[in-house]
Amino acid sequence: MENKRTLPGDGEQPDRWEAQLRKGALEMAALACLWQGRLYGLEIIRFLENHSQLVLAEGTIYPILNRLKAEDLLTSEWVEAEAGHPRKYYSLTDAGRQRLRLMAEAWTSFSKGLSHLIEPVLEPKEIPQ
Amino acid sequence: MTAETQMESYLTELRLHLGSLTIAEREEIVREIVAHVRDSAEESGASVETVLVRLGPAKDLAAQYRDGLLIRRASRSNSPLVLLRGALRLATKGVFGILVFFVGLFGYAMGGGLVLTALVKPILPANTGVWFDGSGHFKSSGVLFPPPGSSAHEVLGMWFIPIALTVGSLLLLFTNWAIRTALRLSQRWQSRL
Repeated sequence: MENKRTLPGDGEQPDRWEAQLRKGALEMAALACLWQGRLYGLEIIRFLENHSQLVLAEGTIYPILNRLKAEDLLTSEWVEAEAGHPRKYYSLTDAGRQRLRLMAEAWTSFSKGLSHLIEPVLEPKEIPQ
Repeated sequence: MTAETQMESYLTELRLHLGSLTIAEREEIVREIVAHVRDSAEESGASVETVLVRLGPAKDLAAQYRDGLLIRRASRSNSPLVLLRGALRLATKGVFGILVFFVGLFGYAMGGGLVLTALVKPILPANTGVWFDGSGHFKSSGVLFPPPGSSAHEVLGMWFIPIALTVGSLLLLFTNWAIRTALRLSQRWQSRL
């Protein structure tokens, strides 16, 4: 990742903007990992890395899962694993599925509109003066 | 220091900084972190020390849990004290939080002040009200000792009570709603990548 780029005009690093963007999507991403079944914390971290390029600090996901559970969007259970110690598995509740569906619809509609808007920016043509 | 000692030391610090949570909540968190450290060390072949470093300082991890919990509780509360406490916590995180805290403080002070003056009006009718001077310009309002002189006249009389009660209550309700909304919004921005 390029860390030294700056946005012309305000001096803000695009990485910082990108981090804010990712933060906004994190709740939806954590819920989306569980759409197809239950996972435990480390599996969620790896699932996010492999499927969404969201690379989290290892301690970040747990407070988020804790909060989503407190909001009744997730449920959890301890399961004895072959590894020799129990793991805490998270699953979506009905409310979590509903919330995720709404978020996914809003995200898709928003990103579609925005993609259309920025389409000319990404065309490798001359920059208008 | 052995892996076991490093882990115990980390967990002791984590427990210490999770002090405001219930014992059950704290132990549930600790149990999950222990499971994570074991899984992560096994998966990557890294030492316990390396995994603990990747988890970040126990103090910071505890703060994420604690803040999330405090702000979440506050965002569902109707108590101005709990809401202001949540806003104060948010104020330690940036300009948005500072703004929320001071707007909240101002809203509660104004709303509470108006309700209080409405309650004082029947006891001190001559000292409480809204005064205009002879040329129709606003002069003063509230509970004044002594009341303004003969050049000013009080315009609301006993209507001051329902008006101050209504405006004060609405202001308190609006402030509650505004802080709760700000706290809910902030919960989505707090996660650290």
